[in-house]
Amino acid sequence: MSVSKQQAHVPQTTGHVWDGDLQEYNNPLPNWWLIAFYTTVVFALVYWFIYPAWPIGGSYTKGFATITYTNDKGETKTVPWNTRALLMAETNKAEAMQKPYFDKIASTPFEQIAKDPELNSFVLSAGKTLFSDNCAPCHQQGGAGKVGFAPNLTDDDWLYGGHFAQIQQTITNGRHGYMPPFATVLDDKQMTELADYILSFEKIPVDPASAKAGDELFHSETAACYYCHGANAKGRQVIGSANLTDSIWLWANVPDAKTVADKEDAIKTVIRGGLNKGVMPTWKERLSPDQIKLLAVYVHDLGGGQ
Amino acid sequence: MTTTEIGSNEQYNFEVVKKFAFMSVVWGLLGMSVGVYIASELAWPFLNFDIPYITFSRFRPVHTSSVIFGFGGSALFATSYYIVQRTCQTRLVSDFLANFTFWGWTAAIALGDISYTLGYTQSREYAEMEWPIDILIEITWVVYLTVFVGTIMKRKQPHIYVANWFFLSFILATALLHTFNNLAVPISLFSMKSYSLFAGTQDAMTQWWYGHNAVGFFLTAAFLGMMYYFVPKQAGRPIYSYRLSIVHFWALSFLYMWVGAHHLHWTALPDWTSTLAATFSIMLLLPSWGGMINGIMTLSGAWDRLRTDPIMRFLIVALSFYGMSTFEGPLMALKDVNALSHYTDWTVGHVHSGALGWVAMVSFGSLYHMIPRIWNTKVWSEKLIGIHFWLATIGVLLYITAMWISGITQGLMWRAFDQYGNLQYSFVESVAAMHPLYVMRAIGGMFFLSGMLLMFINIMMTIRSGRQAPAYIAAPGNVSAASA
Repeated sequence: MSVSKQQAHVPQTTGHVWDGDLQEYNNPLPNWWLIAFYTTVVFALVYWFIYPAWPIGGSYTKGFATITYTNDKGETKTVPWNTRALLMAETNKAEAMQKPYFDKIASTPFEQIAKDPELNSFVLSAGKTLFSDNCAPCHQQGGAGKVGFAPNLTDDDWLYGGHFAQIQQTITNGRHGYMPPFATVLDDKQMTELADYILSFEKIPVDPASAKAGDELFHSETAACYYCHGANAKGRQVIGSANLTDSIWLWANVPDAKTVADKEDAIKTVIRGGLNKGVMPTWKERLSPDQIKLLAVYVHDLGGGQ
Repeated sequence: MTTTEIGSNEQYNFEVVKKFAFMSVVWGLLGMSVGVYIASELAWPFLNFDIPYITFSRFRPVHTSSVIFGFGGSALFATSYYIVQRTCQTRLVSDFLANFTFWGWTAAIALGDISYTLGYTQSREYAEMEWPIDILIEITWVVYLTVFVGTIMKRKQPHIYVANWFFLSFILATALLHTFNNLAVPISLFSMKSYSLFAGTQDAMTQWWYGHNAVGFFLTAAFLGMMYYFVPKQAGRPIYSYRLSIVHFWALSFLYMWVGAHHLHWTALPDWTSTLAATFSIMLLLPSWGGMINGIMTLSGAWDRLRTDPIMRFLIVALSFYGMSTFEGPLMALKDVNALSHYTDWTVGHVHSGALGWVAMVSFGSLYHMIPRIWNTKVWSEKLIGIHFWLATIGVLLYITAMWISGITQGLMWRAFDQYGNLQYSFVESVAAMHPLYVMRAIGGMFFLSGMLLMFINIMMTIRSGRQAPAYIAAPGNVSAASA
């Protein structure tokens, strides 16, 4: 700024005074401020030409930008820029990358998928997020499950079977575990005997006489536990009844119970009240058959697959 | 009230200013404490303790209402009543009505906070209060408008000072926003529950028309009004440019009303609405900066004051944060930037750089300037103001840095694809990545809160000394008996 210009711009106040000493200079608008403001207006104009912008009657200006995408029917379309078409175009891009692998998974038998290193790394890549976003909320990150909530998927104890096809079936249609309550059928002593019988599989020091009585009760028509859990108490995968002999617990929290009496109580609570909460939802409406097949391989490979 | 006081206390109604200023500090301490608590809940979820009343979901509106409407709102009532009287050289038009606004406003916030913890909410962000409280606010606000306009109308000054334009636009716009956003039908006369009159996208649009203009007129225009009085007063220098104040005032008022839809980018909102909101946000940048320029340039020629005067520091740093967040806002309103920032912590950081950096800092500076004057005393400890300044500044910086990193990390993780076209991260992995940043944010909040605690102590001691021995006025007779 030159000296003369500076002199010309000695700030003057407006001449108004408030509250004793409040005054205002009458400086002009800073030039850079004005230019910057006009620049933002130009920017807005350009933006309006690119994107849909101004409403006119029942329609609006569409803008010059376009998007090309392929719809569900396989038709390729070019339309003025809009967020739905943009989503379709981006989805197209990701699906084009996934497609060769998913096609191969659909046509490859389960056993072969795990042996193909390229397919296997695709399963790990897609399975990790599919599992985390859909399965982990119940089965936990990594699939270790939670006692009293959801079964562990990394061990070889399977309620409904751990073969590929069985896992696929479970994910597709969901499961609903049920055990009737025995509160009106058995008295407290009988339930203690049954609990002791079951705990004896785990080598828990229980009263042998009581465990023996439980053994008889288990196989009697009074309690008829063997109907569902089998004569050897190892459960039946056809109906999803639990194996009671393998020290793996889903509903009765035996491992965390400190004393023998507490362990008995944990089992008795299940016998008394039965179970109606072992619900796994169906995923066939949320995931594609290919995604389910891929997840079946992923879950199988978590460690417990048979 | 009795008018045994002399001097300006007789000429002006400072009783209501005192009450609002006092409550502003109280709400500030309460609201920021709750803020630190909910930030800690996000970092350490066990702090929910499975008690429904203190969960994040119920405490969050307690935090926002207490700081925005309790702390900020009371500070605005206090300073607007103070400024309108001093710049119009006249007493408030009605002591009774002014007093009514105090009790109405304070009750509304207290009732709001209590009802949130009990689980009552309209689920409209920054307008969570249910309909009976909304009616109380509506009445209070109309009375506020009456008092303010009535006072301006009986002014003894020919011209209306710039701060009052901003306050008036804030009061008018807020009346409009509050009314339309809260149009709802209660399910019965004796139920707190109501349903919005609008549906779907229109409802969302109404909510964010309200939400963003609450930012624009409540948290921006009104606090600019505060700035236009206290910055030149504290600096002892004239406002930089009267012309700039006119231009940026009208540009701000006109442009703000359009931009709310930028909160709804990438939703069911029509794309053209999104575009208009984005472009008007961009055009809003320079008008917003007009206020910052006018404030900061007012200090031109007296920069040395920043070294010695902690109140001046609060005011100028507030303006700097104002400039920064009004630059960041339009940037985030662009479709492409928003695609990254939407639903992430970046938004939370942006709000807090405005709320802590601008709104709270300019209020701190103004209250420190005003409170000793209305109680006719000196501030208890200048040194404590200096410490408060540094605690607040470190707090804001920690907070917004944490949220920038966290927000951009979230945005990038959510959109990352691997070489197979699969999502690279699951949602829960992005949550886990946030943890250290949530801890950092909570610590930032603790810094800011400890500053607020110092202010509370400082102000309480100042008020005490004001009531015991007025520093400037040796009045015959009873000086302080009328104080609240």
